Amino acid sequence: MTIEEAAQFVAAAYAVILVVLVVYFAMTARRVNGLRRDVELLRREAEKRERRGEGA
Amino acid sequence: MEASQVGLERAAPGAAGWRRLIGAPALFAYAGAALVAGLLLAFWYAPVDASSMGFSQKIFYYHAPIAETALVAFGVAFVAGILYLRSGDLRYDRLGMVAVRLGLLFSLLVMGTGMIWGKAAWGAWWAWEPRLTTFLIACLLYAGYFVLRSMVDEESRRASYAAVLAIVAFIDVPITFFATRFLPEGLHPVVIRAGGSGMEGSMLLSFLVSMLGMTLLLVAMIRLEYAAELLKDEIDDLKTTLWEVGQ
Repeated sequence: MTIEEAAQFVAAAYAVILVVLVVYFAMTARRVNGLRRDVELLRREAEKRERRGEGA
Repeated sequence: MEASQVGLERAAPGAAGWRRLIGAPALFAYAGAALVAGLLLAFWYAPVDASSMGFSQKIFYYHAPIAETALVAFGVAFVAGILYLRSGDLRYDRLGMVAVRLGLLFSLLVMGTGMIWGKAAWGAWWAWEPRLTTFLIACLLYAGYFVLRSMVDEESRRASYAAVLAIVAFIDVPITFFATRFLPEGLHPVVIRAGGSGMEGSMLLSFLVSMLGMTLLLVAMIRLEYAAELLKDEIDDLKTTLWEVGQ
């Protein structure tokens, strides 16, 4: 096998690693953003209830 | 008034969990730096392999560290399984689940890069040789871990079954690791031996730097995923509490 042919396999292997990791990080970022939204919603809900409690 | 105070007090752990979650980037940066350094060393410092593998051997510098890291992740799941069965603490269940998930992700990478390297070096995408076969069995066992989890609804029972499976499946990990030593007729070479690596110094350095990078990446990913799982649990608890006090 020539070095050019081998280089194609090497490039393909490192591309697989890159693509899988990029997909993983994209999915993780999406999941973490969902959690951040949930935390924010809960914080607002708790504050709303506190204000309601103080008004009572 | 009481209800709202409960809500705010319970929101604090969620905030702490969020801080834990965003504290992970430093570790990712170290991992990234080591991985880039490993890659640069592999291509510009380590020589082209003199054996029949030639230039395709460059795949080794990420392929082998990813494989070792996958096995380490399964080791973490094994320890977490034991700790869960001893303590009943669901945080160990979450740690085990995260470790298996990441172990499978790294296994996917090992399989992908290994098949490409196999085609280049052996002329075949797959060979039923000891290392590959035992690794495939490990992947199937750990894939079964998530099938099992999806089949049981009750939380503590699901965690117990998952812990037992993580412990049992780990039996295959040392078999996979030592397969090349016990069955030397396979295609995989023995990289690390008792008396040394059998690699040239520059190759060994490139391998070790990549190994360090992959290990740091695994630690960073486990930390991030574990923090996310704990935060998700806290959010679920908070939702339940807010719903209950709202009644």
